[in-house]
Amino acid sequence: MPLLICHECDTLQRLPALEQGSEARCHLCGARIYRQRRGGLSVPLALLLGAAVFFLLANFFPLLTLHIQGNSQTSSITGAALALYREGMGAIALLTWLTSVLFPGLVIASGLYVLTALRFGLRLPGLRRILKLISLVHPWGMLDVFMLGVMVALVKLSGTADITLGVGIQAFAALVILFAWAMSQLEIRQLWQRLEEISR
Amino acid sequence: MSAKSAAAQGYIGCHLCGQVMQAVNGPQRCPRCKSAVHFRIPHSLSRTWALLITAMILYIPANALPIMSTRYFGQTSTDTIISGVVYFLASGDWPLALIIFLASVVIPLLKILTLIYLLISVHRQSLIKPAERTRLYRITEFIGRWSMVDVFVIAILTALVHIGVLVNIEPGWGATAFAGVVILTMLAARTFDPRLIWDHQRQALAQHQTIQTTKQDNMPQGERHA
Repeated sequence: MPLLICHECDTLQRLPALEQGSEARCHLCGARIYRQRRGGLSVPLALLLGAAVFFLLANFFPLLTLHIQGNSQTSSITGAALALYREGMGAIALLTWLTSVLFPGLVIASGLYVLTALRFGLRLPGLRRILKLISLVHPWGMLDVFMLGVMVALVKLSGTADITLGVGIQAFAALVILFAWAMSQLEIRQLWQRLEEISR
Repeated sequence: MSAKSAAAQGYIGCHLCGQVMQAVNGPQRCPRCKSAVHFRIPHSLSRTWALLITAMILYIPANALPIMSTRYFGQTSTDTIISGVVYFLASGDWPLALIIFLASVVIPLLKILTLIYLLISVHRQSLIKPAERTRLYRITEFIGRWSMVDVFVIAILTALVHIGVLVNIEPGWGATAFAGVVILTMLAARTFDPRLIWDHQRQALAQHQTIQTTKQDNMPQGERHA
């Protein structure tokens, strides 16, 4: 049985034999130390592929359109970041764009690359670096938080103005769901093990 | 309970990929993912304090300065974080008021207070409820990102409500200060090393236990959960 160290309390322990779909918790502090995923990598790969399609749709179609007195204004995700930049708020403009466009996009693209390689046993170049990149960047992606922000803004404006929902917002909702679902199907330690297996 | 930590037994776990390895003298890299590995996050306490104190200083302009100003046919009004919550409450949108109050007021404050408590408890070598303190840390680390919601709301409103000079929403510097608070507290939570909570626990326990020299494979096993 493989050894594991709890990342929260530093207890060295053996990983018990786990049934598919169950998880192991640290016997001392209760932190989740391992998740045994159902099935192989095909399901998360398919989910991530779907997320990639919706990511593109969400980014290239308008999220919302506002109509006031015969005038209208449309915004996309990048448009929201650009609007902050235009008003002289470069720091939060960059932060918004990084957390809701670049980081999630990077995780999806790298995830597709790594999962394709691991699923089909291909020794593609740079797998280690890209898997490392996913671990570093993933905590800073905030698609779900941005989605909540869109909904709050929508309710806030609905009292004073007419708002049309764009294709982008529907794609964005699908993206949030598929992305979270794909990520919940992955155990990063399992990916590292698989990487070692195919590079032998 | 296992009194000895992995570190005390000469093992290190890679923080990035989870690889278990034997510790060597001097700087060490993970053989699998090539990240630098350490027994504990280097200078965890002082780095966490530094980030946290900066966040607390920024917390003042984040609440005092307007986060946005709204111009609506000649009338201009500015909003701070608190007045934004009050506005939702006054207009009867209490679910929204609750979301923004939780994300922009309760979570950042609780996060700062929790991290201060954890830091002080480690400094004072507290032995009180290590499992509960670890859980507190876990929740703090998990929940912090949701505070960014107000910044995203401002971004979307700024982009949409931009119709000539008559109807216009502009972001205020309070929003930048607030985003700074969120990012700094997220970084502070990540540099805090929860293993420090357990180190004093183990030291105290080791002092009270008579040393058993019976050599047997008594390594503990993780618990199964469905």
